[in-house]
Amino acid sequence: MGTTESSIVDSARARPGLLLVALLGGLLLVDLAAKLAGLSVGPVGGALSADRLGSNLWNGVVIGLVVGLAGIGLSMTYSILSFANFSHGDLLSTGAFTGWGVAFLIAGFGDVPVRALLSVRDAGSASAGEVGAHILSTPVAVLAGLVAAFAITAAVALALDRAFYKPMRDRDGISILIASIGAALVVRYAIQFVYGSDRRGVTASVDASNLAFGPLGLSVNAHELTIVVAAIGLMLAMHFMLQRTKLGTAMRAMADNKDLALVTGIPAERVVTATWIIGGGLAGASGYLYVLLRGTIQFDFGWLLLLLIFAAVILGGIGSVYGAIAGGLVIGIVFTTSTIWIPSDFNEAAAFAVMITMLLLRPEGLFGGVSTA
Amino acid sequence: MSVEEGETGDERVGESGTDETTTDETVADDPVESDGTAESDATDADAGTAHTLDGDAILRLRDLDAGYGDLQILSDVDLDVADGEYVTIVGPNGAGKSTVMKTVFGLTTYMDGTVEFEGEPIHGLAPERIIREGIGFVPQTDNVFPGLSVRENLEMGAYILDEVPEDQIEAIYDRFPILRERKDQKAGTLSGGQRQMVAMGRALMLDPDLLLLDEPSAGLAPDLVSDMFDRIDRINDSGTAILMVEQNAKEALRRCDRGYVLVNGENRYTDRGDVLLGDEDVRKDFLGG
Repeated sequence: MGTTESSIVDSARARPGLLLVALLGGLLLVDLAAKLAGLSVGPVGGALSADRLGSNLWNGVVIGLVVGLAGIGLSMTYSILSFANFSHGDLLSTGAFTGWGVAFLIAGFGDVPVRALLSVRDAGSASAGEVGAHILSTPVAVLAGLVAAFAITAAVALALDRAFYKPMRDRDGISILIASIGAALVVRYAIQFVYGSDRRGVTASVDASNLAFGPLGLSVNAHELTIVVAAIGLMLAMHFMLQRTKLGTAMRAMADNKDLALVTGIPAERVVTATWIIGGGLAGASGYLYVLLRGTIQFDFGWLLLLLIFAAVILGGIGSVYGAIAGGLVIGIVFTTSTIWIPSDFNEAAAFAVMITMLLLRPEGLFGGVSTA
Repeated sequence: MSVEEGETGDERVGESGTDETTTDETVADDPVESDGTAESDATDADAGTAHTLDGDAILRLRDLDAGYGDLQILSDVDLDVADGEYVTIVGPNGAGKSTVMKTVFGLTTYMDGTVEFEGEPIHGLAPERIIREGIGFVPQTDNVFPGLSVRENLEMGAYILDEVPEDQIEAIYDRFPILRERKDQKAGTLSGGQRQMVAMGRALMLDPDLLLLDEPSAGLAPDLVSDMFDRIDRINDSGTAILMVEQNAKEALRRCDRGYVLVNGENRYTDRGDVLLGDEDVRKDFLGG
């Protein structure tokens, strides 16, 4: 016992920050337990029911999976192409608009003008309720939209690479980062030009769309369930691709050591092309799913979400695909559970506070040093 | 005290290192005695300056100029490697030894002259093409993919093939049995000697006719160096020609068929390894004797 105590004291001396964070975390847990028990010990936040905590956690997982899915592509371009891609957020918007255009087309074909459907517009010509896109009433349309979001965004990402990034392949990361901010602006305002700048509703409301999960005491929205299934499915496919295929192994090899990949005979450009297709496609799919979650769409939502995605990727250890997923989940859960103590206007601040704390204590991130593409 | 002399400390553990190390300090006075393994007629002869072979060579460099960007490192370098031959390039730091090797593999800026492999000009080709021609390259450092398993590292060596050549992987496991035991382990967790085996195995996956080795003993613990040289001998015995740059110049010259001494990016001496070892000027100027 004596040795354990002294080693705890030693580590507390060596890393006082860790001690502080552990203390704060402990206090929050005690406060959480007290709130659940109906006691009011802490100075902030009101009463809390187990149901509310459960739904907070569930919402956190749903948002976390969407953010994590978006983070995979960001992490891949960072590790394989060595730059932080600021146009990644606008790829989410690209996927959302193009994917929902296709979903609307299938769901509302014949009833509403095609042009209004493809441009995801409700004002004047078609309302979200009229189109009636919902996973329960028009499952084929919603799933086809997801596939379209992946495919079209992959194509856009590849086109951006050929236009902006390929000519700059040998430049340093900062130059390409700045170029990617330019590419982000091009994409964002192209979207605004085509689809307009108004925020509008997308999904229809359907009666009895909540599915009850008896054992967990949870009532889960059908769209949330769709998001969870789709995101986990895409992540598993990604994992299989990285670990079991030759292309995936080559991606991990290039992320490990580009110079060695070159002398080994791995065709770098082909791997880069695949990186854009997969990373861009996943970004498009996650943007599409984010709209499924929120029910509304607007031209710059991807850009606004980008900081949160960066936070997730950095938290997980930038460059690691698995870190991006883990980081997304942490950010998502912090995002939603922080509302137990603080107003929801501040929940992004809570997410970033967790990221910064993480970087102070473990600069390489959750999965840093475990280099896996 | 030159850098080379300090590094010859590694040789003390080499199997033939005993006479070598005892003569290190006295070499300049008595070059003849210095090399117990050399043939007697070779030891007191001057090292030659004929840099090309009369017969066929699989690798043929002629008047090669190359460097990095605008910076020229090599000028008018001639070099031959015959089929199955074991050739070493030695010389002081900054002589351009590694640059020769990288130029053969298409990793530098080619400027002038020719590089022919098996009768075909290969200068200016990308590494991916040069691999297809039958040349393998083991870089000096960072020569494994640390996040990939041993087996995946080997598979990457045969990326250009449509299918993973299982028989070749088996042949490499037979050559380096420890790799079979560690095949699912990440290469980054291996010891220096085992990593070097992974790196060589990766470069041998396509069964190249010529293997380029850049400082294979760099970073190895001294007691592993002679094992590593033994492995290179065995690779050469199985018919693969070797072109090697090595800081451990004495051991490299003792093992190889022929050696090239490069100075300031130009040819200086070329001869059998044992002749170079026995040459007073070579020893004094380049081997720290």
